[in-house]
Amino acid sequence: MNMHLPVSVVMLLVASCLATVGCGPTPPAPFRLNMVEAISPTAEKDSIAAEQALVPAQQKQVATILLAMFGTPDAPECLPETGLDPAKLRLAAGPVRSDIVGRKNGLYREHCVHCHGITGDGLGPTAAFLNPYPRDYRPGVFKYKSTERADKPTHADLVTILHNGIPGTSMPSFGLLSPTQIEALVEYVKYLSIRGETELALMRYFFELDDEDEGRLSETREFLVDEVLQPIAEKWVAAADAIIEVPEAPENLDLAVSVAKGKELFYGERANCVKCHGVTGLGDGQANDYDDWSKNIVKIEGKLTSLAGNDLDPAERRWVADFGQVLDGEALRPRTIPPRNLRRGIYRGGRRPLDLYYRIHAGINGAPMPAAAGTVSPEEIWHIVNYVRSLPYDFDGELGVDRSVAIQPPAAESFAAQENTD
Amino acid sequence: MGLMARLVGLLLALSCAGCGPTQVSGPVADRAAAAVLRETLLSSDAADDAEVEAVASGTGWGSLKGRFIFVGNPGESTPLLVDKDTTICSKDGKKLFDQSLRVDPSSKGLADVVVFARKASRVREPMAATPLVFDQKNCEFLSPVLAARVGQPVDVRNSDPIGHNTNISGSSFNQLIPAGAGTIYTPDRETGMPVSVTCNIHPWMKAYAVFRKDGYVAVSAADGSFELANLPADEPIEFQVWHARSTGPNGGLGLDQPTLKWTSKGRFTITIPPDDIEDLGTLEVPAAALGI
Amino acid sequence: MNRLVGMFWGLLFLAVPVLGVATFAVAPSINVWLPKDVSAHGYQIDSLFYFILGLTGIVFIATEVLLFWFIWKYDAARGDHKAVYIHGSQTFELVWTIIPAATLLFLAIYQMNAWANVKMRRPDIPPTVEVVGRQFEWRLRYPGRDGMLGTADDIHLVNDLHLPVDEEVLVQLKSMDVLHSFFLPNLRIKQDAVPGMKIPVWFQATETGAFDIVCAELCGWGHYKMKGRVTFVSRPEFDRWLERKYAEQEATQPSIHAGGEIVAN
Repeated sequence: MNMHLPVSVVMLLVASCLATVGCGPTPPAPFRLNMVEAISPTAEKDSIAAEQALVPAQQKQVATILLAMFGTPDAPECLPETGLDPAKLRLAAGPVRSDIVGRKNGLYREHCVHCHGITGDGLGPTAAFLNPYPRDYRPGVFKYKSTERADKPTHADLVTILHNGIPGTSMPSFGLLSPTQIEALVEYVKYLSIRGETELALMRYFFELDDEDEGRLSETREFLVDEVLQPIAEKWVAAADAIIEVPEAPENLDLAVSVAKGKELFYGERANCVKCHGVTGLGDGQANDYDDWSKNIVKIEGKLTSLAGNDLDPAERRWVADFGQVLDGEALRPRTIPPRNLRRGIYRGGRRPLDLYYRIHAGINGAPMPAAAGTVSPEEIWHIVNYVRSLPYDFDGELGVDRSVAIQPPAAESFAAQENTD
Repeated sequence: MGLMARLVGLLLALSCAGCGPTQVSGPVADRAAAAVLRETLLSSDAADDAEVEAVASGTGWGSLKGRFIFVGNPGESTPLLVDKDTTICSKDGKKLFDQSLRVDPSSKGLADVVVFARKASRVREPMAATPLVFDQKNCEFLSPVLAARVGQPVDVRNSDPIGHNTNISGSSFNQLIPAGAGTIYTPDRETGMPVSVTCNIHPWMKAYAVFRKDGYVAVSAADGSFELANLPADEPIEFQVWHARSTGPNGGLGLDQPTLKWTSKGRFTITIPPDDIEDLGTLEVPAAALGI
Repeated sequence: MNRLVGMFWGLLFLAVPVLGVATFAVAPSINVWLPKDVSAHGYQIDSLFYFILGLTGIVFIATEVLLFWFIWKYDAARGDHKAVYIHGSQTFELVWTIIPAATLLFLAIYQMNAWANVKMRRPDIPPTVEVVGRQFEWRLRYPGRDGMLGTADDIHLVNDLHLPVDEEVLVQLKSMDVLHSFFLPNLRIKQDAVPGMKIPVWFQATETGAFDIVCAELCGWGHYKMKGRVTFVSRPEFDRWLERKYAEQEATQPSIHAGGEIVAN
């Protein structure tokens, strides 16, 4: 049979076909389980073993408990013990839409999800293209805050980060959002962090079980809320009391004098700044350390490599294969964390003298930057702050190299002597 | 059928294909169970299904001791890669060596094995007032394992002429320790298993730290012997054994021993009669258990 | 059947000028017309736009109506015209080449003044602010008390550009990474930020208020949300705002909220 349709009808058909091409209804987005932790649930990744990995039944139990305690990305729940405001969570959660009064909902998905991921794991679609990687909230570690190193950031700290962004990274400034929207997003970040920390705690508890528990966590209120959730939530609430007390900067201080004192401290043996930040201040003192998030993956990869040559039984071999797969799908390639180049004038945690004081006093949680609080006095910290702030404008001499400090050459002769005795 | 018709047919088929629902990977939560659990968690009834822990009724105290022996050839320890401050970071001009496996050549005693009680119902000793010393010299930590009680002050010292920073993983203690001085650190939280202690300036430096609430933790000495005194008597206590090089889960060291039943996680349970020194005797650690 | 088909296509083509004109007529009332112009010299751009719109509009309507007329009149179904084959007409070709060329030439010369005002006649004033485009934000740097950019007292901000009203303002535009475009719709200003170049942009606002800064050159995955806000305020208020921002930047103590609670901000 020879069908000969007029061209016009054909074109109309083509147009209507193209119009109906599309996707089926999208299912609601789920939270993802922390599979890296599920396969190696332990705080100390130096010694992990195949027997520790969570079996699928255990993974399912963790997922179920989390669903009960925290809900879904579209319908978040929070127990009263978390101290979170459910109304703010509802504003931030779910798909982007307007509610009945015309207010925009789904803020997290609109602004944050493509980098930070739906689970707050820093594994959003754009994450792999960014340097540095977006923050993974799940360990509950945040770098730029006004509290002591071990403590959580305060509410105001998180608001500041949203407001100013993090200069030198891909975290933009959300200062143009309304205060209500920023509050909702901060609440949701806390929610994701508490959820992530609970997930880690639950997974690590499997190691603590006795044989009679038969590999299942107890699902009582006493265990889940009092023992697991409460300590986590309390740290967040207690953050407001852990703000670093900053004594007043010394008054009537000649800036040049302070900068000179700061330089002495910077190059000195007490604060040891040059060991990492380099004698030039360019951040070239050291190049092989990792931040805590990457360190995790590096240790696991090290473990897998060390197992590679050995005779493994089938269970172990399967575990190693699973691990490789999980790392491919669930982890970003670890990157070393370079010490900050102080001559650029870009300060991620904020450029106020106060912010630099916080960084030096408490170090940076999650990063190798140590706390100087016990070693140098507050007044000395102010001197270092003034010196650091002068570095981007310090144009005298060649990159301000301090010729009075001898740069140590490697002691080649002493090693050569040892080679012969081995 | 004409070419046109075939083309139209193909286009119709493509338009209905579209995207299917995306596959969900990973474990799927049990919604029904979650709903039930949620009800439990929201209820404000005092948990009456909580297991009442057996309160130990004993009043006596006992001790546990033993000696770890390494069976096999420990091999040579590897030199550490020292690339900074090389004049200071060497022992009498010689290289620094990895200290994670220390076997006494004469007695074959295995040092740095940690034994701690997982849960004890009562504690005899009051908190020690004088701080425990944890020192570092020649860019090495002088104690491979720091064992302390939660709340016991630890004097983290630095006996080198250069600065170090001591980073206790998991505790957020990462402090610069000035040369020739020290900082008091009071652990506020129990570690599960021992955690690493490192220095970010000299990355080859490595030690371990374990903090326990009840303080029942011992580290075997150079000859492999350890003793845990003033343990609560007349109650079954589960002990965890750990070594840095152990291939067991989380570093747990499980031995094959006729007198005690060891779990694969490196634990054993024992009840100590009051005023008794329970001597476990010689505990043989095969080289394979430490991955050698 | 064929007659209907012929009419259908003719009417379809007629719909183009009809709907086209209708859209333009309705646009201002449904807020899809030109954004509000608050600049002193934006009227030049707008008037050029209207002039060209008018000119091209007339030609457009004329050609479309003619197209419809030919489709209608010479429909094969009616069959009362026989096609006549010609070898072209040089007169026609000359006419419809020279007239558009002349129009274009006229437009090119007519707009030169407007272009020079916006892009070439730079006012001799020091830069009020340096705007650096970065993926995906606008980083701002004000000169500070010493009036010089690149010194320690500069004020650094992001996305929140404040400028004095009723004053000629000079922006120094740079890019930190890739091509961006500094687009102020309400001031009819658009200038590409080229990496490696320092490009001056000047304008003068006539009204206070907050308006959009938008990125108009595809710069990556975040291009769509590379938005800023420019706020015009009176000169005294601008100076006060600058002082306040400088003080915040030099803070050595956390600020205290009205409720007595310390906020790090």
